[in-house]
Amino acid sequence: MNSTIYKKKSPLAVFLIPAFLFMALFLYYPFAMNIYNSFCNITGLGTAAVGFNSPWYLNYTKLFRDPIMNTALVNTMLLMLLTIIFQVGIALLLALLIDNIRKGTQFFRTVYFFPIVISATALGLLFNLIFLYDGGMVNQLLTKFGATDMIDWKDEIHYLFTMMTPVMWQYVGFYFVIIVTGLNNISPDIYEAAEIDGASGFKRVRYISLPLLHNVLITCLILAVTGALKVFDLPWIMMGAGMPMDKSWLTGTYMYNQTFTMGDVDYGSTIAIVIVVIGVVISQIANRIFKEKDY
Amino acid sequence: MKRVIALVLTMALSGAMLVGCQSTPAPAASQAASQAASSEAAKPVEITVVTSYGGDDGNRANYESAYKAYETATGNTVKDASGTSNEEWKSKIMADFETGAEPDVLFYFNGVDANKLVQGGKVVSIDEIRKTYPDYASNMRDDLLGASPADGKNYSVPVNGYWEGLFINKKVLKDCGVEVPGADYTWDQFLKDCETIKSKGITPIACSLQEVPHYWFEYCVFNHGTLATHTKLPASSTDEIGKVWTDGLNDIKTLYTKGYFPKNTTTATDAETFQLMADDKAAFAIDGSWKIGWFQENAKSIDDFTVTYVPGENGRKSTDIIGGLSMGYYITQKAWSDPAKQKACVDFVKAMTTDEVVSTFGATAVTALKNGTAAKSDTDSLEKAAMAMTKGATGIAPATQDGLIQTARTALFADIKNIATGKTTAEKAIDACLAIKS
Amino acid sequence: MHTANTQEPARPHGVRRRGKPGEILIYIVLSLWAVTTIYPFLWVIMNSFKLKGLIRSDSFSVPVGDSFTLDNYKTAFDRVDIFGAYKNSLVISITVTVVVVLLAGFAAYGMARYQFRGRNILHSLIIASMMFPVFSTIIPVFRMMFGWHIVNTNSVALSQLSVILPQIAGNLSFAIVVLMGFMRGLPIDLEEAAYLEGYNVYQIFFKVIVPIAKPSFATVAIFTFLWSYNDLFTQMFFLRYKDAFTITRLLNEITSIAGVNYGLMAAAVVLVVVPVLVVYIFLQKNIIKGMTAGAIKG
Repeated sequence: MNSTIYKKKSPLAVFLIPAFLFMALFLYYPFAMNIYNSFCNITGLGTAAVGFNSPWYLNYTKLFRDPIMNTALVNTMLLMLLTIIFQVGIALLLALLIDNIRKGTQFFRTVYFFPIVISATALGLLFNLIFLYDGGMVNQLLTKFGATDMIDWKDEIHYLFTMMTPVMWQYVGFYFVIIVTGLNNISPDIYEAAEIDGASGFKRVRYISLPLLHNVLITCLILAVTGALKVFDLPWIMMGAGMPMDKSWLTGTYMYNQTFTMGDVDYGSTIAIVIVVIGVVISQIANRIFKEKDY
Repeated sequence: MKRVIALVLTMALSGAMLVGCQSTPAPAASQAASQAASSEAAKPVEITVVTSYGGDDGNRANYESAYKAYETATGNTVKDASGTSNEEWKSKIMADFETGAEPDVLFYFNGVDANKLVQGGKVVSIDEIRKTYPDYASNMRDDLLGASPADGKNYSVPVNGYWEGLFINKKVLKDCGVEVPGADYTWDQFLKDCETIKSKGITPIACSLQEVPHYWFEYCVFNHGTLATHTKLPASSTDEIGKVWTDGLNDIKTLYTKGYFPKNTTTATDAETFQLMADDKAAFAIDGSWKIGWFQENAKSIDDFTVTYVPGENGRKSTDIIGGLSMGYYITQKAWSDPAKQKACVDFVKAMTTDEVVSTFGATAVTALKNGTAAKSDTDSLEKAAMAMTKGATGIAPATQDGLIQTARTALFADIKNIATGKTTAEKAIDACLAIKS
Repeated sequence: MHTANTQEPARPHGVRRRGKPGEILIYIVLSLWAVTTIYPFLWVIMNSFKLKGLIRSDSFSVPVGDSFTLDNYKTAFDRVDIFGAYKNSLVISITVTVVVVLLAGFAAYGMARYQFRGRNILHSLIIASMMFPVFSTIIPVFRMMFGWHIVNTNSVALSQLSVILPQIAGNLSFAIVVLMGFMRGLPIDLEEAAYLEGYNVYQIFFKVIVPIAKPSFATVAIFTFLWSYNDLFTQMFFLRYKDAFTITRLLNEITSIAGVNYGLMAAAVVLVVVPVLVVYIFLQKNIIKGMTAGAIKG
């Protein structure tokens, strides 16, 4: 990092400006509008604000009193936690296992990727068929094994499982790919050297793979946190408007609902800000705890 | 292995494509024909149109063939962006108007939903159009066009009236030993029948309280009011209309607590619950005239189904129905002030609202046509029942929910499942809904 | 994603466990997960060839004989222009992918290798923008592009551009974060060696960084392509007319027509998914070749 190559700063403009220009126009400017909107009173998707709310922070006090927002936050935090444990966890396990076998690695890598290839919309339809109450795949199976009562997979007992499982399952392949790519970036020489030093099996994982994967894992962590806050398609298609009984709302689905079905654009903007603030705070904390390392 | 998978997938796909190729020539040929026609006509224009005849609307095919006929006749082309009518569809249309991205012709609601369009001068009134085109909508009765509640003027030309009625699976009723109800069906008898059906292990009412409680809301409220009260909105849950609404909502709660709705009514989609009707697993459902197409497509035998009056109680006779002309074709100010498009749009609306075209749209006697609708030649038993029902109606009231603004309506219907399950009370839900002003 | 078949002999750690019970256990675990990812697709493919009622009564059987039908595909092809939609999808997604990979590569390199004031702020901005829900940015973007006269026009090319621009921006932050993670992990020695040989930074980027980081670029490219291809929301918002419809937008159209016709729905899912799977499976091989070559020499 202290290399003399990068002392001269002029090429930096060429590297950074195009990307940031795009993001400024299509992300930062609209989001700045969004912050402004959260203090206004807006009655339609495309209308300009009628004026400021009175008091101007009205939407923010509403946030704290809104029981559904509370549900959405709790569910999202839970999703975040499960994402880190299961998505990243299973992906890491699979990646490390695959690093230990010779035959069939290609095959596994290919098929683990299948769920990501498919749009969340299509997957949502697929899982709706799987968890369908009357004649869904799971209930058909249960009937075959002699169950008499069908299970309503979207009721108040099962909804968390029904909502979270597809999300977890879909993105394992995503983190798997990122971690495998990271593992492949580790030079074989290092493993050879370790072999000579007598490190093998768990020791090799513990002292070589994991430390060298450090940055990749942090990337995964941040992607998992931000991903969980934004999750929308699958839950929206499967659970609709917070079914059952407004229990399954997530920040993403609730924000969409407020903006596009309830037409409460300013409150929707406020929820969007909450999403971003929470995401930034959590990823900053994660960065502090597990500092990224340069080599 | 990878190759094998790829091969299998490719074969599956090419098999599918083969089917596609075999079945496509017909539409391709008709496209060529319409293109040939368009090149001959003078100055063909392209107009953009948005309607609610997209998705699984029962009239989608009728609509498409009507506008294709217009294209062939005039040489103009129609850019169609129709969708399915729901709250999101409405929001998006309003957003288009607000950002200046509106279509040239719009098929939309004529009630409160269009107030912003009227107030903002975004659509052209029929009087204005008639100054230049005197015979515009001349085949319709002006008093039935559906005047805007914003200023009492006519803006839209309706196609066909809608009605809401009780769809019945006759096979299920027969299996349960319940008689198929008619015009004299009462609410008490209905409750008894539901109990009988339930005792046979069949769901009496196919309805998703989570997604579409709208129709049961209409009739339950109607049952506690009259034709006159049903056009009014409450000011609070305690005034006269407010009490009517409260009683109606509590009727839904009763139906729910007695277990007449599907077991998963708070988690099912509308599509799932309607599937119960097609599968002979449910007996009754209330829905609108647009649902006929669904039964024609999904019923094993259309003769197993019929439609009749929703059972009445109190001040409402069973033969008083909900219906009317709630939607119509608007020409936007933007298209009107574009000399190139003006005539094309007027011609389009005329072509879509001729007596012949209107008569193909759904079975109903509710119409604004001066001459009434012509009977279709090949009606099935369900369509005949629908015609009979609308002809025998003793009174017709518009849906009371159309008087609410969109956000208030969405909030109210989101709360119906909470009322049914006791998480909130009807009074609280009504007051919360009425408190929403924008 | 990038495999190492060609370099297997050079990796002694793979050989050691051969044939041991541990390895069998590994295969069992890996295979179990593979079943969960393969079976749902087989299930959909099978059911797309069945009559519409069968999916809910007998979804596990293989469609042969009486239960086999092509009706679902016939309906799908009758109602919509599938080939045109494939073309539209490819134009949009390939453009998005190429631009994103290039711009994100630049930005990630700048962020990973240069020390400058404001770097932390830029870093936070990138992370923050990954969390912007697209629903909150879409309306200002819509208005802005409406001002540029590229939305709601009759031109297919402009409609495509109106999807491409926001999608590029939407995928950039993810791409930068991932590439930055990988680039930081690269040893700087190679760049220093190249510098001593007289390369300037641009040459270093294209001739040293890009070849070494090929696997990461490939990863980013694949994800960008997929997200662009599958991003229904942006496509719904900007593609109004049927001649500009992409395949994902079309799937939505078909399913809304289908209602509860699950057979048709399954056919629609297959039509959307299969081309991507085929492209992925074939592409993967080529990408891998390039990647391993780069990795060893690097």
